[in-house]
Amino acid sequence: MPSSKITTLSELKDYLYLAMQLEHATLPAYLTALYSIKPGTNTDAVHILRVVAVEEMLHLSIAANLLNAIGGTPDLAHPGFVPSYPTYLPDGETDFKVGITRFGKEAVETFKKIERPSKGDGRLVRRSYAPGTSVLGRHPKSDEMHFYSIGDFYKAIEDGFELLEAEAQGLGKTIFIGDPKRQVTSEYYYSGGGALFAVTDLESAKRAITLVMTQGEGTPTSIYDNDGELSHFYRFDQLTHGRYYQKGDEPHHPTGPALSVDWEASYPIEANVKLADFPAGTELYDAAQSFNQAYAKFLKAITRAFNGKPELLLTAVPLMFDFRNLITELVRNPLPGSAGRNAAPTFEIDAVTAAESLAAARQEVVA
Amino acid sequence: MNKDAAFDAVIVGAGVAGALIAKRLTDAGLTVLVLEAGPGTSRGLDDYTRHLERFYAASAKSPESPWPPAVGAPQPDTTALRNNDGYFVQRGPNPYGSSYTRLWGGSTLHWLGVSLRMLPEDFRMRSLHGVGRDWPLDYTALAPYYERAERAIGVSADVADQSYLGVTFPDGYDYPMRRVPPSYADRVLGAAVDGMPITLGDEEFAIRVRSYPAARNSIPRGDYRPAGAVDIRAGDGSSIPPLQGERCQGNTSCTPICPVQAKYHAGKTLAQADLRFLTVRVQAVASKILVDPASGAVQGIEYKRYDDPEAASHTTRVATGRTYILAAHAVENAKLMLASGLEGPRGHVGRTLMDHPALYAWGLAPLDVGAYRGPQSTSGIEELRGGAFRARHAAFRFDVGNDGWRASTGAPDTAVSDAVMTRNLFGPALRAQLGATLPRHVRLSLAVEQLPDPDNRVSIDPGYLDPLGNPRPVIDYRIDDYTLAGMAAASDVARAVFRRAGVTDCTDPSKGSWFPSVFYRGREFHYHGMGHFAGTHAMGADPAGSVVDADQRAWEHRNLFLVGSGSFPTMGTSNPTLTLAALALRTADRLVESLLP
Repeated sequence: MPSSKITTLSELKDYLYLAMQLEHATLPAYLTALYSIKPGTNTDAVHILRVVAVEEMLHLSIAANLLNAIGGTPDLAHPGFVPSYPTYLPDGETDFKVGITRFGKEAVETFKKIERPSKGDGRLVRRSYAPGTSVLGRHPKSDEMHFYSIGDFYKAIEDGFELLEAEAQGLGKTIFIGDPKRQVTSEYYYSGGGALFAVTDLESAKRAITLVMTQGEGTPTSIYDNDGELSHFYRFDQLTHGRYYQKGDEPHHPTGPALSVDWEASYPIEANVKLADFPAGTELYDAAQSFNQAYAKFLKAITRAFNGKPELLLTAVPLMFDFRNLITELVRNPLPGSAGRNAAPTFEIDAVTAAESLAAARQEVVA
Repeated sequence: MNKDAAFDAVIVGAGVAGALIAKRLTDAGLTVLVLEAGPGTSRGLDDYTRHLERFYAASAKSPESPWPPAVGAPQPDTTALRNNDGYFVQRGPNPYGSSYTRLWGGSTLHWLGVSLRMLPEDFRMRSLHGVGRDWPLDYTALAPYYERAERAIGVSADVADQSYLGVTFPDGYDYPMRRVPPSYADRVLGAAVDGMPITLGDEEFAIRVRSYPAARNSIPRGDYRPAGAVDIRAGDGSSIPPLQGERCQGNTSCTPICPVQAKYHAGKTLAQADLRFLTVRVQAVASKILVDPASGAVQGIEYKRYDDPEAASHTTRVATGRTYILAAHAVENAKLMLASGLEGPRGHVGRTLMDHPALYAWGLAPLDVGAYRGPQSTSGIEELRGGAFRARHAAFRFDVGNDGWRASTGAPDTAVSDAVMTRNLFGPALRAQLGATLPRHVRLSLAVEQLPDPDNRVSIDPGYLDPLGNPRPVIDYRIDDYTLAGMAAASDVARAVFRRAGVTDCTDPSKGSWFPSVFYRGREFHYHGMGHFAGTHAMGADPAGSVVDADQRAWEHRNLFLVGSGSFPTMGTSNPTLTLAALALRTADRLVESLLP
């Protein structure tokens, strides 16, 4: 039976790859909810979703920094990096599904679950999933073993860093052998909360892990993270309560300015739709495929940025602006045979990548 | 008439000068009342979004289009220039082409964000060039305040680009944020013209395309934290932390509205002030300064408060404090003084009104330069801002646009309508024609210096009142030969720049948007205002020929300060906001010294 303890550098790299996958996996859900909101409505929700999405990109970059710090190779274009939605996430004793859905009460409840990792002692639980099910926060060596929570997952990573670096130090070495030039710093990406810093030693590695964890859930004693930013869970909780938190507030009792949410003012998109649900040869099909291609291009650009070309992030992030236009084309149009529900992005990225490599291989043959 | 409780300071105007002083004073624990004539609809993000939607919906994207005035606080409108039917009573002979915004945040809501320092020689025009007048301050005295202003409003630039024509920076100093990346168009033009020799009189200059300092958020240096969008909702003035705007996103509408508030506006400073000591009263139009006739001391400011921005009904109150600061804009400061019977030493209030009358030059680049993308502009040509030629004609600077021919001809809309209506293009041919031309659009703005002329002035006339019964500004304005000769030189240089860069010169005002024209030695120039009002209560070393001293304190009213670009004795070629911000911070220091026990 696999242990939750990380004992080799190679295991730590596997964990960090899964951490990148996990940090990225929320982005499609947040972006779709964000762009499903009807224009001119729900301005508070729009801003909250945007800020959280921007910070998830920050977390993704931090995970890449951690992986690069120990000589790993981030690869967001790897098959399976983007999960098949809905995908499972652990939430303590139970799990729940994250899907590609419209903005609404249900979505916000799910988002709060995503951002509510309970901290445990790094333990694993056994869960059986149907074959082919997409699961996040699992053990890298076993599809059945699942971390009790996201907090446990990161706790295992933190312990791994400590253990492996202590071992290396004992031998007069270090695990932080990565090229510092591969580190992405705040010159290349910024978000409202938390600066992006280089990971070069155990101290900065632990600081990076803490930032990711507290920005999601807050610190043990506060709804704010260590930078004084409201954590993601409480950002979403503001929508539930129809009121902003302000400094000094207790959890679940925001006392700041009121905000208004129109839960119905989003396009009624079909949840977790797949390209196979689109009638082939239609403009809608092409639009869905165009989106997946654009998204694949974005992941490739980010991968290059995380592999020694951090300045490429400056040009990759604006690609995200295109997502709005591409998603808008989908969510405003009815999906045939879907009882009046609208189309949505499918985030089937592996298919695009496979088709492209096939095309490239063909070209090589021809050449 | 109701009297309000007394404050340490009463400030008229919630624009950049008033906001910076309010913040400095409240940070020192002094109580401040700010009276703002316009509504406070730029405070909350929801309301700001409505201004943005109004801009998107407007058919004419003028500087005023997102910011409609209240009935009680009318404002000039550049679209009223042609028929002279706006707020200004224009007596000519030349129309004054600029406007300002009367709202919480002031004209910084619609400015472009260019934050150039003045040149050391700009402060000594009389001594060095025998024209205009000297300032009672020099560059060295203002330099530390420039640094503070650059931090307070958040300027992005690299010192390495900005040391020219005597502008110096102390070792180790750099701007709080890195420069906004120059656009592709800047780089293409720069590659063609950098080092190009220009001769003015017997002087030769080597010009280059240079990134200018911009009050738009960029990558911060050190511990600087860019200030993003303001969102004040609660009754107590507390803000929601910024949800956007901490970096420029390259939207091409800096003027008249930054969609994400990455560009500085005065509301950001007000939102950072110590709210325990700050009271902001919007929809409160200062109408009269009450003065003790014996001592000249100000005893209160009468203001008209309206509840409904659509109506003229109002109540009149009086605000009192230990000291009074007029920060209502160069024109409104002068108007308020004159409406109170205060004409200043030798009747100087309202006189020596200036602007930077500016010309457009536009052309078609040989290849795509990526027009209509990025901040409205990111670079300029600055070398011709100073030199011995200023004894004979005006200096000038170029702004290199990223917004194609939008400002000069109304493209891309007009380009589409021209292609359809006169060339009869449609379908793929139309798309091909637009795709082949629009990305090649190049535009230069040629902003020309203007000297103080006592006959260029703001005055009032009981025959011209606004709906609240306050006087409307009456403007006398003439562009003299000094400036006209500068226009001629500037437009020759623009032509040479286009020729050098292989840009086909398409400058033809008869085919562009309408602008007023002036004539000089057989040439006609179509000029527009830059919004750079200045000189209406100029500072000086002694009361002869000035209204305020170097601290912007009124010579005749020792508890009254008039701040803003109205205090400029001359204005050189730099956009005035950074300099007026530096002066405001300097004045604020003096106020804190004198008001603290």
